Amino acid sequence: MKTTQVLALGAAVMVVAAGCGGGGTDRPAATKISFLTHWGPDQVKALEAAATAFEKQNPGTTVDIRAVPFGNLLTTLRTQGASPNGPTIAGIYDLWLPELVRDGLAASMPADAAAELAASWPKNLVEGVTKQGAPRGYPNEVDLYALNYNKKLFQQAGIAQPPRTWAELEDAAAKLTGNGTQGFGVITSWPAGAVHPWLSLVTSNGGALIDGTTPKLDDPRTVAATQLYARLIAKGSTKPEMSNANANTTGPYLDNFVNGRTGMIIMANWWQSALKDAMGDRYQDVGVAPVPVGPDGTKSAPVSYSWLTVVNGKADQARQQAAWKFLTYLNGGSSGRNGSSAMGDILTSMGILPSRTGDLEAHKAELSDPFLSVYVRELPNAVPFPSVPGGEAMSQTVQKHLENVIFGKETPEAAMSAAQKEIPGVLQKAGT
Amino acid sequence: MRRAAARAAGTAAIALVMVPALFPLYWMVISSLKGPQELQTIPPTWWPRSPSLSAFTEVFDAVPFGAAFVNSLLLAGLATASVLVTSVLAGYVFAKCRFRGREALFWGVVATMFLPPVVTLVPLYWMVSSLGLADTYLGVLLPWLANPFGVFLMRQFVADVPDELLDAARIDGAGELRIVWRVVTPLLKPAVVSLAIFSFVFYWNSFIWPLSILQDDAKFPVVLALSQLLSYSTSVQYQNVVMAGALIASLPTIAVFLVAQRVFVASLSRTGVKG
Amino acid sequence: MRRSAAVAFLSPAMLVIGLFTVVPIALTFWISLHEWSMYTPLGDMAWRGFGNYADLAADDGFSTALGNTALYVALVVVVTLPLSVALGMLLYFPKAAGKGVARAVLFSTYVVPTVAIAIVWGGLYAPSYGPLSVLFGGATWLSAPGTALVSLVIFHVWQMTGYYTVLVIAGLTQIPGDLYEAARIDGAGFWRQTAHVTLPLLRRTTVFIGLVSIINAIQVFDPVYILTQGGPAESTAVLSFAIQRSAFQHGLAGQASAMAFTLLVLLVALGGVFLAAVRRRS
Repeated sequence: MKTTQVLALGAAVMVVAAGCGGGGTDRPAATKISFLTHWGPDQVKALEAAATAFEKQNPGTTVDIRAVPFGNLLTTLRTQGASPNGPTIAGIYDLWLPELVRDGLAASMPADAAAELAASWPKNLVEGVTKQGAPRGYPNEVDLYALNYNKKLFQQAGIAQPPRTWAELEDAAAKLTGNGTQGFGVITSWPAGAVHPWLSLVTSNGGALIDGTTPKLDDPRTVAATQLYARLIAKGSTKPEMSNANANTTGPYLDNFVNGRTGMIIMANWWQSALKDAMGDRYQDVGVAPVPVGPDGTKSAPVSYSWLTVVNGKADQARQQAAWKFLTYLNGGSSGRNGSSAMGDILTSMGILPSRTGDLEAHKAELSDPFLSVYVRELPNAVPFPSVPGGEAMSQTVQKHLENVIFGKETPEAAMSAAQKEIPGVLQKAGT
Repeated sequence: MRRAAARAAGTAAIALVMVPALFPLYWMVISSLKGPQELQTIPPTWWPRSPSLSAFTEVFDAVPFGAAFVNSLLLAGLATASVLVTSVLAGYVFAKCRFRGREALFWGVVATMFLPPVVTLVPLYWMVSSLGLADTYLGVLLPWLANPFGVFLMRQFVADVPDELLDAARIDGAGELRIVWRVVTPLLKPAVVSLAIFSFVFYWNSFIWPLSILQDDAKFPVVLALSQLLSYSTSVQYQNVVMAGALIASLPTIAVFLVAQRVFVASLSRTGVKG
Repeated sequence: MRRSAAVAFLSPAMLVIGLFTVVPIALTFWISLHEWSMYTPLGDMAWRGFGNYADLAADDGFSTALGNTALYVALVVVVTLPLSVALGMLLYFPKAAGKGVARAVLFSTYVVPTVAIAIVWGGLYAPSYGPLSVLFGGATWLSAPGTALVSLVIFHVWQMTGYYTVLVIAGLTQIPGDLYEAARIDGAGFWRQTAHVTLPLLRRTTVFIGLVSIINAIQVFDPVYILTQGGPAESTAVLSFAIQRSAFQHGLAGQASAMAFTLLVLLVALGGVFLAAVRRRS
């Protein structure tokens, strides 16, 4: 290679750098929007079918579906969100919404979409997606927690019915334990997996994680749930080494429940498909019951969270309009079967609860399945996981101290008071 | 007799080392032959109850695996070719050319290797996408055209080439490019081949950068295509398929290695003849 | 060598590395002086000065990650370096059957995509029922804070040693055979040949492997991300994972960049010491 060639190469790079700084200003003939999701191949195919149907009705708009693994969804949003080539629509976890709104990435809904939302969704969910005075998108997937238990193990241990209180839970756990089986399983190495089930016990004991922006971890009702964990571990009813999860949300915690080595575990409804895939015929051993109530609680109050689709506030107006139009179609009663939305059809195909009132109605048959019906019944009692800026970091702080208790590195009281001290700083960093 | 015994001892030692190396690979192969339920069974089965090759066909249905394979070949192949050229040239200069600031520049390049790539992901994405290269092969490739590791490796090996050989070639009137191509590179064959293998595997298995810069799944390389199957609601269902896909994805690099081995053997006999 | 040729040979690599590695590192430093969620353009960051660095000093999460990384790197290097030299010699010198196959097998461990092989190792390490738990009397592996990091080190060694062994073999081929001939004539046995011929002449390769294995160990991310997410109880939260989590999960890119830059400064300082030590010996 000669010097001149190298210089030419260098010059070419410079030209590219100079020439393409303002890419994307020329107006495309067709409006191209993209939809970022973390769904698997089957659901992506269903979503693509809905997009094709929409494109037929709306010539001039093309919808491109982009799927990334669950673990990479937030990463992708952070790298690409603010860029002109970023996704126009994204399916997001509600915990991420406050920061997206703060930074202008979740546009407010146009009036007609907002009216549709108010008319067709339960009020508490509409409130959940309303930030800074404006609704930000259509909620779709709802997940909440319940006690999953192994009926066969219950029968063998002579336990007639699933525990309704913490005392019954401890009692049943002790009876189920032995011979390589743990009575009650917990989950570690996964923030939501560690925190949500524990928090479901807290909220079923009348406690809370935070009140507004004030942490409630040193509240006796919160500490009590941590002490319950410590007691279960001390008695051997919960085995810490059976608790691991991995980034694909499988791992020992799942294997142990699937194979009848865990008597009870508190988990969310979405894992039904994982249980079915992994258990085959043994799936019939799975029983579901509400989260047991603590001594200071009055009723079971499981944690819930939801997913919603937002439109990128950084996209140009034409794209934003097209995006809302597509979302209104996708979540509307005409795109699916039997008055369901296409979104409702896709969600129920995964065993996931839809949130639109009409979708719940249209899928009544699927949702009356013994597994899901308990979750559906518990939906009105559900306590949404607090969605505040810094929520992810707060979850991880709680997870760290919970795991310290599970692995015997901290006492329940010390862990909760340490978390109580750390969380204000964590929330402050995110601008809460 | 002693020869034969030594040979047997050597073979036995090698066989012993192979057990821990092979076991996880064996486990991967049998995982690809099991169904989702058997993969979740406790205790695990050491041989599939009813081995099935269906995962190897399913991977082509579940994701555009064939296209992804071609994408990977293209991206890893081009990146490797470029890294070889840029590394040999730069390594040659760092090893054989004295200039002011050489050491500082060289160790500066080496120092950049220490930073985990995830650290510079955001600025890098921002730069490449503001060049208008988001979602293009060129965007993926640009940062891959040279590699500090390659420069470092080549300098280490070029330094071993005797200066007299280079001087002799210069007296014969050879240009620098000719010296690099005809004198230096043939002597470095094992090192060049090692670098080629390293680069190919590294870029073939790269995940975070292509994931960040590519958007259209028709452009996805193999690893990205496979990771799409590990979404939370499907990771049980597709675990065997991911194993099968990863096994197929390993074949080209293993093939490259098998071909490259001949170079090792050849250079081995060459040093022998010389000695 | 002509100056123009030197410039021409050096430019392509320097241009690419400069533009796509050095500039992003400089930007990382710039970001570390700000508060930034990454959702906004780079120009809209809020200035924080050295506030992020001050926060790190007070953050015990950072010191935990630093400690975990140091331990991980030390274990990896101490095991990998002697192991790959020994394996390289085993697969180069003796007249034995199956050397080619053995090299290919060792190398395949390095080739298989981490996305898949990490899941396999997760299964092998499964507590109480996984094959490695059964074989090693119920060892807890990834499932307990005391053993998780070591388990990741073993996986790393398994995955990377094959490649380092190939490098060792490449280095061994460069050692002239007549040196061994001469040593044999002097009556040197295997150990003396190793100590006086092989190891000294392999030094450039071993220094290289030492450095590269340190780099690879510092950068370890995929196995931690896929298998443990830093757990249990933060016992495998190494720096690259902590940086990624802070930036991408928590949206604190300024803080993450400060961690990254602190790491770079520490490494450059350590590298300087290492280099000085190597120089003095030669």
